[in-house]
Amino acid sequence: MTGGGYLKDRAWLYLPFFGALALLCAVILLLPYETVYVRDRAYLSAFLFSIVLCLAVFFIGTLYNMLLWMHGKGLIGTPERRLVRTLLRALRLVISRRFGRIFGTFAKDALYLSKLKDRSVSRWFMHLMILGGFVLMFALDLLVTFSLDFLKYGPMISEDGWAKLWLRDFGFDLVGLMMLVGLLIAAVRRFVLRPKIVRTELPDSVSILFLLAVVLGGFVLEGMGIAGSIPGHTENVEYSFVGYLFSLPMSEGAGDLYDQAWLVHGVMSALLIAYIPFSKLFHMIATPIAIELESAFPKEGAP
Amino acid sequence: MKRLDISKLDVRALVSYDACTRCGECTATCPTGGEAQDVELVTPRGKILRLREFYKRQYGLRARVLGAKEIPDEQLKELAGRAYECTICGQCKTVCPAHLDTIEMWENMREFLVANGLGPLPAHEQIVKSIENYDNPWMQPRTQRSRWSKRIEKDVKVKDALKERCEVLYFVGCTAAYDPNIKDMAVDTVKVLAKAGVDFGTLGNEEGCCGSTMMRTGLFESTRKMVQKNIEMFEKAAPSLMVTSCAGCFKTIKQDYPKVGKVPAKTVHMVEYVTELVGSGKLMLGKRVEGKVTFHDPCHLGRHNRLYDEPRKIIESIPGVKLVEMDRARDEARCCGAGGGVKTAFPELAQKISSLRVEDAERAGADILATSCPFCYQSFKASIEAKGSKLRMMDLMELVRLSAGDG
Repeated sequence: MTGGGYLKDRAWLYLPFFGALALLCAVILLLPYETVYVRDRAYLSAFLFSIVLCLAVFFIGTLYNMLLWMHGKGLIGTPERRLVRTLLRALRLVISRRFGRIFGTFAKDALYLSKLKDRSVSRWFMHLMILGGFVLMFALDLLVTFSLDFLKYGPMISEDGWAKLWLRDFGFDLVGLMMLVGLLIAAVRRFVLRPKIVRTELPDSVSILFLLAVVLGGFVLEGMGIAGSIPGHTENVEYSFVGYLFSLPMSEGAGDLYDQAWLVHGVMSALLIAYIPFSKLFHMIATPIAIELESAFPKEGAP
Repeated sequence: MKRLDISKLDVRALVSYDACTRCGECTATCPTGGEAQDVELVTPRGKILRLREFYKRQYGLRARVLGAKEIPDEQLKELAGRAYECTICGQCKTVCPAHLDTIEMWENMREFLVANGLGPLPAHEQIVKSIENYDNPWMQPRTQRSRWSKRIEKDVKVKDALKERCEVLYFVGCTAAYDPNIKDMAVDTVKVLAKAGVDFGTLGNEEGCCGSTMMRTGLFESTRKMVQKNIEMFEKAAPSLMVTSCAGCFKTIKQDYPKVGKVPAKTVHMVEYVTELVGSGKLMLGKRVEGKVTFHDPCHLGRHNRLYDEPRKIIESIPGVKLVEMDRARDEARCCGAGGGVKTAFPELAQKISSLRVEDAERAGADILATSCPFCYQSFKASIEAKGSKLRMMDLMELVRLSAGDG
């Protein structure tokens, strides 16, 4: 491989990658965030700084993991070149007629976890709650941010708007509760019941406790907002049914620490994202890819 | 510093190592890691986590920033030794909720171990040398390969496929050709083929080892020549169909040969072919054979090739025979313990695993334990004798031959 070719391979990968990452970070930093609940803009800035940093770590970590895959046999060229080619091939698949089948496999095996359901309904339920909650939370976050900051969608902003009540309040609480239920089952199973097949090492404990802290932190934060009558948490609070329950034992003074708690929750969420490529949570990305690889490119002679 | 060469690890395998969720589903049913000795490093999860840890120490982001770390030789040897305790039965593939193709992963892991000077194990070397020098793992001369057919030459004409054109080429395999206890498998197979009026032949003494043993121990590259030579023989014989009675040969020719060259004819296992012959009325199973038969699914036939219904259809077609299933059957079937070079390197472990399966058959209330693989047959026969079990070990073709009325 000549030096020029090597540089070209790298340029083909890193220029679009860092360009897209910079664009994403710019969008995150430039959005108006007029409707966020935090009152002090300094906390918002601190959060935005941390999320941009953590997203960069997440994407670079993920890219690095994928480049490591490309060291394996079966492909030709530098890892960078192989990755670009693989990504382009994946893109071609996504826009091909086979997309329906690919998506079907993804939905059935990676999201619905069909095989796990056949083996253990309780573990399937636990995992589905965590994964489903996580995916729905992510989707809801995108939807709400887009509605608020791009569309300025009224019903998502006004206190009694249907979208505010059913999506921002009820929706987030529901998916958060899904994650909480799943994580609590997982924690009890791992730390109390300890079935023989479960092996708990530091990365397992960190992943589960980190997720629990973020989810519980979200409900505590919402409870503080309701207890302290923070804007956005003053009317129809029963829609935020879990946050409302958390607010019951809290005093009105809890609202005084709302901004600080908001930042802690935000930074922890950002750190969780940054942690994914370096933890067992990376299977959220690798497992669907492995499933699709088997489905889209079966080995020759395979039954 | 010795750096691991990960260029032998398959891209799919590298993705799969990251895709492992560490759930442990595979550990409970792993015949060697979970059931026979309860050692985490032998289990699929144990192997995945250890190997991933090793290569990430040298190629991960931290290694890129802070420098790669040396992996002590004894740790590498421990992983290699444990990796070779796996029979590559594929039970972990059946249970893995992440749909990982662990069969491919273990075979590829062994290729990686060989490339890094960590495999195969010294115990495998004698077999490897025998295959390289004699074309069979049993240190038997090439000229004796077709000797098994001498005792039936008056009753059945076995054509030399290299000299006479024949429709079907029967690939006998080393174990059925040489092992005095298994020779009946080849004899029964040709009697069944003859009874059905099939125009068949073999490669005689020109048949070479299929290469399965070497491939399962990670020596894929060393088998290329052997595979090419066999493919050339197949081309010379130019059959319309190839059949095998050995599950290992079947898997190897069907799944591994296409990686080296084009196999000129469709390859089927005898269970598939006999099912077709019975279904089309070419083979009549009319004679009663009394007994309760349980069928052990050989890993290479079942989990590796999903042939579960065919042997059962055959058994159910035999008058007088009652098929009884073991608790763990089909893709949940326990392994016989012989595969993946385990019987060669760890005979006691293999015996322990096969004993568990014999107990399964006893619990099912069977009189006869039938299978369609010479390795499974060998292992179970030894275990049945060691345990003093009343079970009778039979190859499925023996049952078919009895019912077809020959012998």
